[in-house]
Amino acid sequence: MSEPAVETRDLVREYRGGIRAVDGVSLTVDTGGIFGFLGPNGAGKSTMVRMLTTLLRPTSGDARVAGFDVMTNPDAVRRSIGVALQDAAIDPYMTGRELLRLQAVLHGLKRAQGRARSDELLGRVGLETAADRRVGTYSGGMRRRLDLALSLVHEPTVLFLDEPTTGLDPMSRVTLWDEVRRLNTEHGTTVFLTTQYLEEADQMADRVAIIDGGRIVADGTPRALKAEVGHPLLAVTAADASTPDDVARVLARFGEMVPGAHVGGAAVRLPGGSAAMADAVRALDEAGVRFAEIDLSEPSLDDVFLIRTGRHLEGADTAEGGPATDA
Amino acid sequence: MRGLVVSVGLAGRNLLLVRRVPSVFIPSLVMPLFILVATSGAFHGIGALPQFAGSSYLAFTIPMAATMGAGFAGINSGMTLARDLEGGFFDRLQASPAPRIALIVGPLIAAQVRSLFTTSVVLIAGMIGGVMLPGLASTLLIFGLALLFSAATSCWAIGVALRARTVQAAPIMQIAVFLSVFTSVAYVPQSALTGWLGTVARFNPVTYILNASRSAELTGMVMWSDTWPGLVAGFTALLLLGAFALIPLRHLENR
Amino acid sequence: MTAASPAIRQTAALAWRGILTTIRLPQAWVPSLFFPLVLMSIFTASFGGAPGRIPGFPPVRSFLDFAVSGAIIQGVLIGGTAAGSAFASDIEGGFFDRLVASPTSRVAILTGRLGASMTLAVSQALLFVGLASIFGARVAAGLGGFLVIVVIAALFAAAVGGLGVYLALRTGSAEAVQGMFPLFFALLFFSSAFFPAETMTGWYRTIVDLNPISYLVEAMRAEVIGGATVGTACTGIGIALGLAVITVGASGLALRRRLRVAA
Repeated sequence: MSEPAVETRDLVREYRGGIRAVDGVSLTVDTGGIFGFLGPNGAGKSTMVRMLTTLLRPTSGDARVAGFDVMTNPDAVRRSIGVALQDAAIDPYMTGRELLRLQAVLHGLKRAQGRARSDELLGRVGLETAADRRVGTYSGGMRRRLDLALSLVHEPTVLFLDEPTTGLDPMSRVTLWDEVRRLNTEHGTTVFLTTQYLEEADQMADRVAIIDGGRIVADGTPRALKAEVGHPLLAVTAADASTPDDVARVLARFGEMVPGAHVGGAAVRLPGGSAAMADAVRALDEAGVRFAEIDLSEPSLDDVFLIRTGRHLEGADTAEGGPATDA
Repeated sequence: MRGLVVSVGLAGRNLLLVRRVPSVFIPSLVMPLFILVATSGAFHGIGALPQFAGSSYLAFTIPMAATMGAGFAGINSGMTLARDLEGGFFDRLQASPAPRIALIVGPLIAAQVRSLFTTSVVLIAGMIGGVMLPGLASTLLIFGLALLFSAATSCWAIGVALRARTVQAAPIMQIAVFLSVFTSVAYVPQSALTGWLGTVARFNPVTYILNASRSAELTGMVMWSDTWPGLVAGFTALLLLGAFALIPLRHLENR
Repeated sequence: MTAASPAIRQTAALAWRGILTTIRLPQAWVPSLFFPLVLMSIFTASFGGAPGRIPGFPPVRSFLDFAVSGAIIQGVLIGGTAAGSAFASDIEGGFFDRLVASPTSRVAILTGRLGASMTLAVSQALLFVGLASIFGARVAAGLGGFLVIVVIAALFAAAVGGLGVYLALRTGSAEAVQGMFPLFFALLFFSSAFFPAETMTGWYRTIVDLNPISYLVEAMRAEVIGGATVGTACTGIGIALGLAVITVGASGLALRRRLRVAA
């Protein structure tokens, strides 16, 4: 399919008082991939998703989802998309099975078809045993899985997940990631995923767009974006009589300094990578500079964000998912 | 028609909630019953007024209790909708390809089913108190008028819910129904009303709905001259309140 | 006396706080004015033809004279429930814990809330009688009668407030206390608050005759429409006092139990 799954041009959402939650966003999401939409709280992620899922009317600009215009053909869009929003919009008084069947009815599936589909999806997300319990009794992870199942009832071509793992424990988070990946590879569903967790975007997405204050500040594959930032970062903490300035003076010889990146010390980008680290340590020793800690880290999407906006991404340090080694 | 199937599906869900959420279910059952018993018991003596022409005050009260019950059965739909809007469940409905009108017709159908239930409860309670059913046609008319009223109040509550989007609007829905019934011929016939209430009741559509229902209840027949004003009043209210409920549907995506 | 005076000052302070917090929150006082007044005006307009035409109806100048006392009792009932739920909110919100942890006398915690209720009830009685007089009602027994009305209202407010506080202490939930409101409302209808008991029949009449609220309303009513005696006044005041003693006593015990558990 040559038609992109999602395409927007100068999309704007303005509220009374002139506040622009989304300020001219243009992006393209190719069919079949996982697209990560990353940004701090209040950046406009949810507003974008609501516009793309026909829940909110754009103030200006164009948006096409699954080949249909969001404003002139919303019904066609609704038939093609699956939606799992924040707060896992579900009714606590109904059972999982009842909710799935209701969703099937909403999408026009015939009764028998709807039942079969519900059972199948319950199995797929691992909720068969809890299917006839009221959703109010489900744990957070279970609710998100149900939410995912609900969004898949009609086999959508594009799936919108708005912060799907916020507030989940690490186990549930990983389970959800696996499920989403499987959807993408086995069914070819395009996934539009918004998140505030950078390693979620890093791990899951084929392409990433970073949004801040309603505008896109970066757009590309995670690898390309990080490569732009450049080289690994060496951070050294000053100790005893040595000051951060002492450390900085030595490190400045080895590459480009990154001011403000390391409190209590200094940080430098090492073009030579880990090999150059040994040289830098030796240089500090020779200069008589005392240091307590030394850390070499690969660039992250947070670094991308930092370079483009001068701030850290919120939630960069609070996400518990951890690097791939934890999985 | 897909809209109808979806509406029935949504109605089913609404009715499910009545069973599952006791704080909704019990008032729907108890309130009209209480009104019937308390009103006919406390104000029993008023039946001695000449304007009642000797009819039983209990029989006189049955239509009022049924109407009040229908009114509240109607606004329950609005309260559920408000809860859905506030909690986010409505997003799911809105993002689905369900026809927009089904989002209103579904709760409306549920309200009608509840209204059938409350009217039955009132009529049965009346029978226990000694007032027999007034005949098939009259009984059907009483049910019909209750359905008309619950449809109207349902539209009212849905309209409020779509605009307010919060459960805090529930008192507005409730007080409107209370006042609309109490400022009509709730306790005595029009001829016995004094002062400001006499004038207000004359312009209140609920007065004519109640009159039609009472005529059926007390005479045991369907008297067209008593009935048509009630039908006109009821359908007019339904039309206006229906518009009140439908108009926000166009602007759902503006919030 | 020196041991008592801090308790009195604390009661006054807490009562004043209770009054202020009530006034500042419309949903705390609007229902206690709105419902009784609306019902009173609807009943007066609906049943205006009753006096003189219904056998068993006491001799009154107008239905409004008849209805005022019922409205006052209704207002006190609603206001008292609000007081109980406010007390529960204090528990939920932590203000109660702060009081307990302070040198505030335990008695004052209770009497402060009740003091607020009683003061509000008296103001309400004043307001209702005032409004009714604007529309033509008169208190037949004059100032003395009005005092009887006020005393009964205050004592009944203590009784309802006491029950509200008791429920608050036992459930700790404002919602649970509010949930009791329909029951109280029902109790009001099963009394002679809105219509004379003499016109009622059967089992309904029996319940009404057993309901203490009927006697409170009738004692107040006698002062308004005439026919009050020392006997009726004492009955009303006595019953209100008795109810207050029971509920306030119960809430005192509940308070002590809660504090003992907490300690």
